[in-house]
Amino acid sequence: MMSSEKVLLKIDNLSAKVEEKSILKGLSLEVKPGEVHAIMGPNGAGKSTLGYVLSGREGYEVQSGSATLDGVDLLEMEAEERARAGLFLAFQYPVEIPGVSNLEFMKASVDAQREARGETSLSSAEFLRLAKAACKQVDLPLAFLKRGVNEGFSGGEKKRNELMQMLLLQPKLCILDESDSGLDIDALQVVAEGVNSQRTEDRSFIIVTHYQRLLDYIKPDYVHVLADGKIIRSGDASLALELEEQGYAWLTEKEA
Amino acid sequence: MSNWLESAVTRAETVSDWLSPKREASLALLREAKVPTRKTEAWKYTPVRAIDQVTVSTEVSASVQVESIDDLNSVDLVFINGEFDAAQSSSELPAGLTVSRLVDADDSARAWALSAFSNIKPDRHLFGLVNDVLATDGALIDVAEGVEIEQPIRIVSLLTQGAEAHTRVLVRLAERSKVAIVEQFLGNEASYNTGFAEYDVAAEAELEHYRFATQVNEALSIGGSHFNLGEKAQLNSTLIGFGSKLSRVDVDVTHAGSHAFAKMNVIYLLDGKELFDLHSTVEHAVPHGTTEENVRGIVADHAKVVFNGRIHIHRNAQKTLAELNNRNLLMSRTAEINTKPELEIYADDVRCAHGATIAELDKKALYYMQSRGLSRSQAQVMLNFGFINELVEQMPNQVLAEWLRPQLKARFAQMEVG
Repeated sequence: MMSSEKVLLKIDNLSAKVEEKSILKGLSLEVKPGEVHAIMGPNGAGKSTLGYVLSGREGYEVQSGSATLDGVDLLEMEAEERARAGLFLAFQYPVEIPGVSNLEFMKASVDAQREARGETSLSSAEFLRLAKAACKQVDLPLAFLKRGVNEGFSGGEKKRNELMQMLLLQPKLCILDESDSGLDIDALQVVAEGVNSQRTEDRSFIIVTHYQRLLDYIKPDYVHVLADGKIIRSGDASLALELEEQGYAWLTEKEA
Repeated sequence: MSNWLESAVTRAETVSDWLSPKREASLALLREAKVPTRKTEAWKYTPVRAIDQVTVSTEVSASVQVESIDDLNSVDLVFINGEFDAAQSSSELPAGLTVSRLVDADDSARAWALSAFSNIKPDRHLFGLVNDVLATDGALIDVAEGVEIEQPIRIVSLLTQGAEAHTRVLVRLAERSKVAIVEQFLGNEASYNTGFAEYDVAAEAELEHYRFATQVNEALSIGGSHFNLGEKAQLNSTLIGFGSKLSRVDVDVTHAGSHAFAKMNVIYLLDGKELFDLHSTVEHAVPHGTTEENVRGIVADHAKVVFNGRIHIHRNAQKTLAELNNRNLLMSRTAEINTKPELEIYADDVRCAHGATIAELDKKALYYMQSRGLSRSQAQVMLNFGFINELVEQMPNQVLAEWLRPQLKARFAQMEVG
């Protein structure tokens, strides 16, 4: 773990609602470069909402609080600007886009981000080489590059496809929203290895999961429990084991 | 009171040529015809009054260059304001292909043309009748038995400001012949044209057909492509419509011989206040015919689409397989889509399906794409393109598909979500 004083993501007392329903209720979290944070918690606690609010999904309204990435206000940016600033959300339910090839979509995404950084776009050949390597790394057949984005993919294939996008986009902050759900043990290892291969001194991860299982493969620096819209407990990796054994009830009761 | 209809009848009386016996019958129908109104079913959503507002000039500039399509290697037949332009047309023809102009057809061309003219295109198309009586130039295309023509034949009809033109195309595919024909309509300034084509596809012949009804803005364009399919004949047709002040296409396919196969893909993309109206009718008159019709379109801003797709399965057309599907993407609350898929079935042993959907752009998909760094407009262009790309990919001629893609993308880039 880095002992940097710099903060990559700083969420301060964030409250947000969806369709008039308050979901996040004063959530605070700091993530430093290179750290891996796991967020666990009961259904409906706001785990997915956090990812949507940070990535700028329409309909998720921030009521109060702040969130900055590298000191820049995230909440004022359009969704694409947040992505270009280095935020990546691996969706729990990736969207199918028939007719748009995976390769074309990823090339356009990478190009858009490079352009925003003032870099020249990659040639088709260069990108294809990178995409093939990423595709192999997540253990998907190369034919998936030609297929429509997530079109007809199984749940596990979609999760791996998200990971492939992450490998190509090289974000600063990766939020993985239940990237382990619906995966068998082999696929879980592929996802974990993919994440581990991307761990660097600068890149941080927020791993949203229900299960300790994934954390056997991706060792978190911190584990947080998110319940009723805020983080009610933080600890190290051992907290996840405790939660696995005892569930959340003992924590939420204490809260109440 | 109608100027264009009366004017057509008046001028028709001065047309005299070898087609006159055929023109007479159409003229008689035209004399009885009324200008379509809102109450005319076939024109319910498509007003024709714009035709009277075009200032037709007798002196139109005709010196325009038609762009070729790179790598298509086509036999080009170019008509500028309805008149054949030999200089821009191909002078050499592959073996087995005979092409003549309406005006100088020899006796043998006249013989088959007289039997096809106005016999494949149904009489109910009012502007078809107008074309019957006024089209004095056009192309007669004859493909010999058993011959496969490798070069696509591209028929360009270009209209310039103030022009009025009526061109006619007649195509005969003899048995077991094979050819690709492209009908391309160009010119976006104020003009009025009717362009009708009739295709007689004999037994076991294969026709690859394209109609690019891509005139926009002020151009008024009304026309049709009409097909008669013999036994085991195959038709693979792609129609692209952009819409203008008035853009109307009628397509008729008649399964006259059994075991014929008709595939029709249609893409329309509209913006601004454009109008595109497609009426298609498929007649299954005999058993064992197959029809696959896929119509997809995206309509933005204040644009309006009319689609009326009818499949008529006659009593003895058993074992017919017919599918008609219309999918629409609505980009704004002010865009309008009038869709009416119709199946009329009189045989009891058939497999048929039809449907129409109208959807809005998928917000979740837009967000997903934005979350990867694409701008909203980029994401939108991509989504739109994805929606129709499936049909573009099915175009048998990939050179044409490659030529078309950037034009479609350019259209998408203009369209705004409203």
